Amino acid sequence: MPLYIAKRLAIGVGTIWAAFTLTFLLVHSTDNSPGAVRLGMGATPEEVEVENERLGWNRPLLTQYADDLGKMVRLDFGQSLINRGDVRDQLSDRLPVTASISVLATLLAGIVGTALGVVAAVRGRGTAKAVNAFSGFSLSIPSFWLGVVLVYFFAIRLDLLPATGYSRFSEGVGSWLQSLALPVITLAIGGAAVVARMAASGMREALAREYITTLRAIGTPEWRIRYIHALRAASLPVVGALGVQFIVLFGGSVIIENLFALPGIGQAALFGATGNDFPILIGVVVMSTAVVVITNLVLDLLTAVLDPKLRTR
Amino acid sequence: MSSIRQAKHQRIPAFLRSWGGVFGAGWLIFMFLASITARWWRPYDVAEQDLIARLQGPSSEYWLGTDAVGRDLFSRVFTAGALPLQASAVMVLVAFGIGLPLILIAAERGGRVEEAIGRFAETIMSLPSTVILLAAIGAIGNRIYPVMMIFGLLVSAALYRILIGVAKSSRQHLYIDAARVDGMGSIRVNLAHVLPSMARPIAVQAAIVYAIGLLIINGLAFLGFGPGEPQPSWGFMIKDASDNIFNSPWMMVPPGVALSLTVMAANALADALAGPLGIPEYTPPKRRRTISASPAQQSEGTDNLALSVRDLSVVVEGGPTLVSGISFDLRQGEVMGLVGESGCGKTMTARSLLGLLPAGVEVSSGSIIWQGRQIAGLPERDAIKIRGREIAMISQEPMVALDPLFSVKSQLTRPLRRFRGVGRREARRIALELLRQVGIVDAERVLRCYPHQLSGGMAQRVAIALALTGSPKLLIADEPTTALDVTVQAEILSLLRALVAETGMSVLLVSHDLGVVADICDRIAVMYSGQVVEAGTVAEVLEDPYHPYTMALLGANPHVADDAPEPERLAAISGSVPPPGNWPEGCRFADRCQFAASECSVAFEPEPAHVDGMSLCIRTGELRRTGAQWAPEHRGAELAVESEAP
Ligand code: SF4
Repeated sequence: MPLYIAKRLAIGVGTIWAAFTLTFLLVHSTDNSPGAVRLGMGATPEEVEVENERLGWNRPLLTQYADDLGKMVRLDFGQSLINRGDVRDQLSDRLPVTASISVLATLLAGIVGTALGVVAAVRGRGTAKAVNAFSGFSLSIPSFWLGVVLVYFFAIRLDLLPATGYSRFSEGVGSWLQSLALPVITLAIGGAAVVARMAASGMREALAREYITTLRAIGTPEWRIRYIHALRAASLPVVGALGVQFIVLFGGSVIIENLFALPGIGQAALFGATGNDFPILIGVVVMSTAVVVITNLVLDLLTAVLDPKLRTR
Repeated sequence: MSSIRQAKHQRIPAFLRSWGGVFGAGWLIFMFLASITARWWRPYDVAEQDLIARLQGPSSEYWLGTDAVGRDLFSRVFTAGALPLQASAVMVLVAFGIGLPLILIAAERGGRVEEAIGRFAETIMSLPSTVILLAAIGAIGNRIYPVMMIFGLLVSAALYRILIGVAKSSRQHLYIDAARVDGMGSIRVNLAHVLPSMARPIAVQAAIVYAIGLLIINGLAFLGFGPGEPQPSWGFMIKDASDNIFNSPWMMVPPGVALSLTVMAANALADALAGPLGIPEYTPPKRRRTISASPAQQSEGTDNLALSVRDLSVVVEGGPTLVSGISFDLRQGEVMGLVGESGCGKTMTARSLLGLLPAGVEVSSGSIIWQGRQIAGLPERDAIKIRGREIAMISQEPMVALDPLFSVKSQLTRPLRRFRGVGRREARRIALELLRQVGIVDAERVLRCYPHQLSGGMAQRVAIALALTGSPKLLIADEPTTALDVTVQAEILSLLRALVAETGMSVLLVSHDLGVVADICDRIAVMYSGQVVEAGTVAEVLEDPYHPYTMALLGANPHVADDAPEPERLAAISGSVPPPGNWPEGCRFADRCQFAASECSVAFEPEPAHVDGMSLCIRTGELRRTGAQWAPEHRGAELAVESEAP
């Protein structure tokens, strides 16, 4: 178990490093410069040059890389080139929004998807076909369009939920959940489709195993065979799928924050991309990667709890 | 493989023989052709504004309505397809261009190289790609093709993860026919053999990744990083629709449907390419149809019979008969061996006693009288009360017979609490006792173990302990030692013998090994082609066989009486067991029998044999009178005999 955790942790750290390096290289591969971005259209090439010098942009690439990497470890991403604010402060307000959307959506997708998958696996051919058709359908609907459709029906026609805007957790759990309901449901539907397929095939595979016959042969009740033994076996691939789904849903959240006017990290990324705000971009990438890595570590731990082969190693 | 060959034969690829495949391929081709030719046939230019006809629904003038500045949605939707359809294809090419060489190298080199590439792929895979793409746009600008190439790089890692297993197994197949690749260079081997054998999974993944590419391109366009106004994109048209949702909800329909259908087409194509999953369909036991078997025949002397099986037939629903007219008796405390080659119906017979036949297989006639009660074709809710409590079973492969996710303790105490109505503590105590009873010395430690920590012999002991939790009166042991080492086999057999002596239960031992049967059984029933061909006490049958099949089994096996078990005691008899559904009229052994004569090809009744046994051979009397002997055959010619038929 400690070895397994150490291995996962190492890969997590590697991922954050890769994210940083990739973005660093992207930012430095352009002919744009932070000086030009910071001073805006009106600046002369000379002024831009002075500003770049001041920002240390003209130093050797490796020096800058080592310097930025060192700062990144201390979570110091510098200042925004546009609004001059501290990047870490700006992002740490936004991160919880995106993280809550994607965590809630992943949970919802996990629960609904598993339920659908189990039903598909144990309820015979007809149900299986229906669930499969539903997931094939949901997989193909882009979340940013589904979001518009849901807003139209639930916020405009039925007036059940707020269409846009964010209410903080500290302002009350009820209104927080309400403000997140539509974005979370929007994202979770596609995730549920993936999980449902995974859970269905996992259940079917588990129920065809020899040990199920052993359990039958000692008169184990059918519910216990299905929902304790087979479901536990199926939960391993499902948890594995949730790790990937979290990354996908995090990306989806970045896109649909725009639709629901949520002050998340996706909006910051959008402004950063539009305005070539390099420090914001690096900060967004590194912090998003950190969230993804931490979530996946939690899921790895869960896998270890579920799978004695990992736990007892 | 067969489907591919078949497909060539019929000149229609297999994936186009499903609705999904036809829709997927058809829609993608249609959309691609329509969008790249749109400029020549669209009714309006994409930038042409009609400020009087703004935010309109469908009309004869504007077939799909207009947007906020009065542009024709029909023209725009069809024009918008070209860019994502092409850019996503480029992304797929980049992804495979990077991914496939890495996969092939890792599969070829293995070891360190594979591990390093695997680590790298896993790292890249956990990156939040949407955020990275936004950062890329921020850095290099809104340039769709380069951005999608970066996405292709990220996707290649996921491809690696999914396809490396396929590549490795296809290489393993290559080792088997190494002759074909002998003397070929590594690149040629990969191009000529490894890649073609991976064609189907590669095609499936390409279609899936293509769909993801379409979603990403339009997601970015939704955020404003598309081709730029006035050039249309589905993503930005959806964004536009969401801004006008109060005034004209219709606007969201054309771009949304176009994008969804296109993504759906790619996914449907992937499903069609993948073909049906090879996972067996699960049938809940309750849904299994039970044919009411003939009523119990009380007339026979069932005094101390624990089990009496009469004329039992087991069939595949709507298919062939697997077992027909089986009859045998088992007394309390008696051990009976059911022997025969694989595929002769031993396991089906044994499982029908528990009502645990595979889905689609059922008892069609006959009776199973257990303790005076008819239990053939019992409904599930009654059958479940017998299992474990009265009749239990241990199976062939101890290593897969226990649930790998549960500890021995939990697997033993659960049924103990159910069967004996005891609490946690007491269940634990009994579990320890049972483990000691099956000869496990360090029971405390084994109790804490998970199945993967047990050796095969240990796992079989635990499985036996599990079968004993309900104190059954009959234990069905289906090849209990076949999967074990020779020394462990002997231990398990002596354990079974000891348990019979201690508990007084009966055992039905299913085996293809005459040595094992000779070792611990009192009575024996020899099965061939779904019938019992000879029955009697072990001493009688093995020392003085009546039926030619039994003679054949023994004939090539002079050492049957030997105490040390051998893995292969069953003789090789030339020819093979006729498959179910292909049984001849008359004697089913006829085409392998040295004594076959013309009278053998008509149906006949079993002859009495031994003291109270039988022999299903019309020439029994004649053969005994002439003292016929089975002539030994060459061994080793028929090794295929042991491949287990389903
Ligand atoms: S009936 Fe004929 S063919 Fe069959 S076992 Fe007897 S002698 Fe051989």
